[in-house]
Amino acid sequence: MNPAKLAAFVVTALAPLALSATAFAQEFEKVTGKVADEVPAGPFVGIAYGFIWIAILGYVLFVARGIARVRGDVADLRRKLDSAGKR
Amino acid sequence: MRALGAGFVAATVVAAVGFLFVPGMILSAPLEPVMGFVQKIFYFHVPCATMLFLSTFACAAGSIAYLFKGSERGDWIAAASGELGVLFGACVLVSGPLWGRKAWGVYWQWDARLTSSLLLFLILIGYMLARRYGGPAGKKLSAALALFAAVDVPLVYKSVDIWRTVHPQTTVVPKLDPKMRPAFWTSFLLMTIVWGILLALRYRLEAARSEASTLALEIEDHLEARS
Repeated sequence: MNPAKLAAFVVTALAPLALSATAFAQEFEKVTGKVADEVPAGPFVGIAYGFIWIAILGYVLFVARGIARVRGDVADLRRKLDSAGKR
Repeated sequence: MRALGAGFVAATVVAAVGFLFVPGMILSAPLEPVMGFVQKIFYFHVPCATMLFLSTFACAAGSIAYLFKGSERGDWIAAASGELGVLFGACVLVSGPLWGRKAWGVYWQWDARLTSSLLLFLILIGYMLARRYGGPAGKKLSAALALFAAVDVPLVYKSVDIWRTVHPQTTVVPKLDPKMRPAFWTSFLLMTIVWGILLALRYRLEAARSEASTLALEIEDHLEARS
């Protein structure tokens, strides 16, 4: 048998096997037992809620510090203005 | 705290109590059959989105008062609410994708609601940057940006009804299960109170800054007059 004929014979013989293998790979597999949830929701809810409250709390602290600093500046400026007025 | 007034103190106490109380209400609300536990994000994602809209409208209203009437208080309100818009926008853009990862399988989809929300957030960031680094014309430039942000709000809200999107539609809240409503509306009320407290705080900061700059100018004038 020449090599070309041999190759054609092998391909023809393997083709149905390859097709059935593909079909097997595409079949849905039945799950036995409890189905595991791949993406648990708890951490997502926790992160979302935590982020919101940390962001709000952080913002409150940021603004409160800003107010304290600017009020300190205002008090300093008032003192400077008073002393400048007295001279 | 005393200087901020009794109403402010009462609101802060209510918010602190709500902060402890609302998570229990959300956890005891019934589970949504399709999405399950991740649907709990809805109870604070939607109030945050509403506060984003409210902040944007307040920013635009203050900006209009500043642009057309020269109102300094309007400018303070605009500055305060613009910053709150960025804060609540960040909360929306973090909590939403966390929901999406579980509900849709991906953190982000370039659909109409998500993209227009991101655009609104970026306009508000632009507002803050223009205000801070825009030089002498920064206030007016940012006020004009606030008007564009306000125009984007109805687009964000109606986007889910106009275009096909993966995001839940605007009918979700009116059609909410009666057993889910107490947790949702309590959370909504709490977020509104928190928004009011933050606005009052930030407004006071802006007022104090204005007082400081007025005093600095007075000192400068005084020194110039003497020399």
